[in-house]
Amino acid sequence: MTVAAPTMTPMATELGEADRRSLRSARIRGVIIAALGVSAFQAAGGSFEVPAAFSFWLGKQGGESLTIATSVGMLWLLAGIAAAVAGIAQLVRGARFPWRRSLIVLSPLYIAAILGALLAGKVANMTGVFAGSLELAVPITLGAFAGILSERSGMFNIAIEGKFLIGACAAVISASITGSVLVGVITAMLAGVAVGYLLAWLGIRHRVDQIIAGVVVNIGAIGITNFLFLRVLSKNTWLNTPPTIDRIKIPGLSEIPVLGPLLFSGTPYLYFTLALMLFLTYMLFRTRWGLRLRASGENPSAAGTVGIDVIKIRYQSMLLAGAVAGLAGSYLSLSSAGSFQMGMSAGRGFIALAAVIFGAWHPIGAFGAALVFGFSDAIQALMSILGVDVPPQLLNSVPYIVTIVVVAGVVGRVRGPAAAGQPYDQA
Amino acid sequence: MRLELKDITKRFPGVLANDRITISVDRGEVLGLLGENGAGKTTLMNILSGLYRPDSGEILIDGEPRTFHDPREAIGAGIGMVHQHFQLVPVFDVVESVALGAESVTGPLGTFDRATARKRVVELSTQYGLNVDPDATIEDLPLGVRQRVEILKALYRKSDILVLDEPSAVLTPAETEELFGIIRGLAEGGTTIIFITHKLSEVLEVADRITVLRRGTVAGTVNPSETTREELANLMVGRDVELTVDKGPATPGDVVLSLKDVFIMDDRFQMTVKGVSLEVRAGEIVAVAGVQGNGQTELVEAIAGLRTIDSGQMTISGATIIHASPRHVADLGVAHIPEDRMRDGLIGGMTVAENYILNSYHREPYSSNGMLHAKAVDEAAEQGVKDFDIRTPSIDSMASSLSGGNQQKVVVAREFSRRLKLVIAAQPTRGLDVGSIEYIHSRIVEQRDAGVAILILSTELDEVLAVGDRVAVMFGGRIAGILEGGEATRESVGMLMGGGH
Amino acid sequence: MKRLGRIVRPAIVPILAVFSAFLVGSVFLFITDIENLKTLPSDPAGTIVAGVVNIGNAYYALLIGAFGDPTRIVAAIGTTDPKVIASAFRPLTETLVVSAPLIFTGLAVAIAFRSGLFNIGVEGQFIMGAMGATVAVLAFRDLPPPILLVVALAIGTLTGAAWGFIPGFLKARTGAHEVITTIMLNYVAAQLVLFGLRSEFLKQAGSEAPISKVLSTVVRVPLMFDLPAVRLHYGFVVALIMAAIVSWFMFKTTKGFELRAAGFNLTAARYAGMSAGGSVMLAMALSGGLAGLGGSFEVLGTVGQMSNDLSAGFGFNAIALALLAGNRPAGVVAAALLFGALRTGGGLMQIKTGIPLDLLFFIQALVIMFVAAPVLIRSIYRMNPRPLDEGSPV
Repeated sequence: MTVAAPTMTPMATELGEADRRSLRSARIRGVIIAALGVSAFQAAGGSFEVPAAFSFWLGKQGGESLTIATSVGMLWLLAGIAAAVAGIAQLVRGARFPWRRSLIVLSPLYIAAILGALLAGKVANMTGVFAGSLELAVPITLGAFAGILSERSGMFNIAIEGKFLIGACAAVISASITGSVLVGVITAMLAGVAVGYLLAWLGIRHRVDQIIAGVVVNIGAIGITNFLFLRVLSKNTWLNTPPTIDRIKIPGLSEIPVLGPLLFSGTPYLYFTLALMLFLTYMLFRTRWGLRLRASGENPSAAGTVGIDVIKIRYQSMLLAGAVAGLAGSYLSLSSAGSFQMGMSAGRGFIALAAVIFGAWHPIGAFGAALVFGFSDAIQALMSILGVDVPPQLLNSVPYIVTIVVVAGVVGRVRGPAAAGQPYDQA
Repeated sequence: MRLELKDITKRFPGVLANDRITISVDRGEVLGLLGENGAGKTTLMNILSGLYRPDSGEILIDGEPRTFHDPREAIGAGIGMVHQHFQLVPVFDVVESVALGAESVTGPLGTFDRATARKRVVELSTQYGLNVDPDATIEDLPLGVRQRVEILKALYRKSDILVLDEPSAVLTPAETEELFGIIRGLAEGGTTIIFITHKLSEVLEVADRITVLRRGTVAGTVNPSETTREELANLMVGRDVELTVDKGPATPGDVVLSLKDVFIMDDRFQMTVKGVSLEVRAGEIVAVAGVQGNGQTELVEAIAGLRTIDSGQMTISGATIIHASPRHVADLGVAHIPEDRMRDGLIGGMTVAENYILNSYHREPYSSNGMLHAKAVDEAAEQGVKDFDIRTPSIDSMASSLSGGNQQKVVVAREFSRRLKLVIAAQPTRGLDVGSIEYIHSRIVEQRDAGVAILILSTELDEVLAVGDRVAVMFGGRIAGILEGGEATRESVGMLMGGGH
Repeated sequence: MKRLGRIVRPAIVPILAVFSAFLVGSVFLFITDIENLKTLPSDPAGTIVAGVVNIGNAYYALLIGAFGDPTRIVAAIGTTDPKVIASAFRPLTETLVVSAPLIFTGLAVAIAFRSGLFNIGVEGQFIMGAMGATVAVLAFRDLPPPILLVVALAIGTLTGAAWGFIPGFLKARTGAHEVITTIMLNYVAAQLVLFGLRSEFLKQAGSEAPISKVLSTVVRVPLMFDLPAVRLHYGFVVALIMAAIVSWFMFKTTKGFELRAAGFNLTAARYAGMSAGGSVMLAMALSGGLAGLGGSFEVLGTVGQMSNDLSAGFGFNAIALALLAGNRPAGVVAAALLFGALRTGGGLMQIKTGIPLDLLFFIQALVIMFVAAPVLIRSIYRMNPRPLDEGSPV
């Protein structure tokens, strides 16, 4: 039996219309990018005499350094040329131009130029900035992984912040009692699992709105950890003096010039996070487990009708998400701060949520987003050390504003799992 | 494989959905399972697929009793389902969608063996002439192809028993014919098939045997060659269902709604209405027939002011409505009975009274100066409930607590409570019982006789033929033809619906 | 009788939820009472008795702190000494002082919720409102005080409304989820306030802390009682009036009808000729405006000086109390009084027994949990399940 492909003879008019629209927006984009280039040229004009110097540690921190010296004008010029090229390419090639990828090239150039202009001749050590960004990105990335795991399975998760606090607190107490960082880390993960179970139990078993369940956890976590700190930890300081987790230089690799001090002299958390990123990416997009998890988050009833236990998958991923977020909490107290402080997550759980969205629900994307957010933090530290007067509040707001811009679809909309937040009834 | 269901009973709070249902199908046989909405077809199918468990009764496969605790066990027993609402993941590709739940894996991490799955999908697609691109993303596929992906899913699981639930709901007549070809091919190959539908003509065409369900029980089992449409209809509803609408000849007056060369884009910027021109006169009913997804939805939304058109002319009694808001259109005397009453027509969490004033709350006597007048609202709602025989405990009951027929009556009562020039009704009787269908049709004819122009959009041939004074057929975003009452027959309309001439 | 039932019935679950939350809180207090637990191995019975006594003392201090000491109140009845009267009624008035911002923010959450929107950004709208009022006072300080007060309150309200309008606008125009945008805007608001409080215009001279110049010397919301150290001002009365207005607005006006319709079913509202986007923007702006007005009263009435920690989590408490109140305006007032009492009483509890006030956050979380999952309460107290509203899934 032969069957001809039915229906859908493509109509010239309909394609033409869709094309017309994307062409129009491509033109607008092209003009904007080119205008950016022109403004960079203008900025370059007056600033060729201002030196710009970025240095990197060659060997270990504080040792010999490699300095790239140029002028602010040159940086602007480079940025301007790149933008002009991109703008023209956009105009010529229309909708086919991969403009999102071009932003990956353009934005660092612009950031370098702006940075140079702000520093106004001071030498900045970038190894510190980049290594700092990486470390700052660690808890955000882990938190974002927690968000990705739960949202990909169809559970809205705004409780990362609460899990951070509980994990941080649990880690400190158990590590202080046992004197073992490993026990501390495991306790933090178990605490995270418990919170994840609570969220799943409320959202799945009792069909509590997942946003409300998240609010419960966030408020409860602040209450419980502050309470424990004031009533127990502050009076019994031995419970709040855990062994800490320090940076480890990977033998050999950390000797590589420039890259060694940057990438291979971090905390174990950093290495674990990077490994987890690759592992999660593989698991989510290449394995049966990932296929089923994503199906549960996109169309749970499709998964249910082919015999997949959506409820179980959602519980599973909520527990896993809890463990990962708890781990991030232990980083905050055991590695970053060395003790538990009230409210020490300081909104990073919500920045992690931002990274989930900015990173388009993809582990590598989330890490990239966390890196951007970490970078804005690290730059701020650099500025205050060098005495450059940039209000820290502006840089602090970057992750939040970027997220608003992204969810509003101003720079190309990202699409989250279709069924995230919807309860599923297994008949 | 031979499938038997014996004395299946399933009770829900307040409803006996399946009452001692016994059916059987042999290997290679196509059983047509015919019944109205609410006859218990879906419940039975959910029992068969392991989603529900029967309160009593047994399922026998090749004479062996089986119980299914979840869909996995039903699939394991060789039962494959093609659901009415496609169970596909829009962002997955065909291979992923087909393999989901039955993935072959390699390696310690359970890596999805895509290559093997793809090969099998291609093989099956070729073998059964399904013609599906394995790498296409589901959301880019037309509905007819998505259904073939659903069939592929069942074949991929080596299902010996295939259950299709209302499979033609979204298909063109040509696609339906194609589907029937596939079904016959599968049956010849030894697959046992249950074909669930409420369309008489389809079971007569494709089934080897027909079992009719009525109100949760088996009303009878017949052979297609030994029965007639009338007999089947009688079994289905317990009386003659051939839709007849008691109406005299139309006396068309002035043109009320006029569409000229209207082009409309859908949400994904695809041109779905491509140059529709149509006139509806006062005192006539124009029925627009067409399979779902041929632009009718967008056309109705555009007339109702819910969607802007790309180009063309739309006027009501000469006044343009191109940039009119829904309220402006309603104020011109247009009633709109939307396609999906629970989603678009009613607010389930509000009371019957509040729903009754949903689009006239801003006018006298219901409000003035921005203040609602509860007394006027209640009086009007009481009157509407009485006039339209709406069965509700009180006007303060939540709309969601009413039955489907009564919900639709609330919508119709609300829309007809104003002075009208034009009625646009999209699928006004979908999912209703026969009594409610007749009632709503008679109210529509009443409006026509009072000089209102009526535009009805329906995917049901029977409805179109019964109520339309003229029948326009939409296909592929265009009007494929307009037939005067006399010329419109099942055959002529059906051919146009499928794109024939 | 039937009428009484209508008032009592919706209150049963919330009351049991609060009760259960305190019960769980007690257990938590007991197991963190380390001093007491040390005697557990030697004297288990004594430990338990002492633990229960400690908890009883704590909750008693909470009650007295919230409503006043009965002996003092008795003493106050027979005297005209303003000091005695003030000290007797101060706990109660303090409860009302704290309730006022909670009523505003609770109404803000409730009005959004009724319109189908989850406004987690009340906290940000509250401080932005306070900031707007602060800027207004310092910018127009030469106006006569009564006019200045009205102008500052209005500007504060508008600032809050604008801050609420942003997520509403984004939702209406681009579909951006309001939960995400409001969370993010809370942080942006906090940073903006910090940024503003560094400016010479606002900054308290000679202070490094993020606090503004003292506003109460310029203008202040009038106090209700002329008693020493009694801070209760007319903001509380305005809060009650706002609750009545919100109730009237939502249920008696056409705009309220539109908001509720949009809240239940946005597409049906659109089909009925309402402007769906308009409803979303209006609801968010009203919600933000209420929060902003609350913030303005807080800074101009209660505190008299803008600081970055002006809102002690009022916006977040508001989510809990709006849920507890079932998003009914009258319920919001009742729940705000309860939460106000807890906060005020918690202060005394902290002073007298050393139990941190933060316990109440934990208890609040439990309250939301019990209210959001009424099945929990029903199963604990063996209440009959509510009959199913809908029929079968045939």
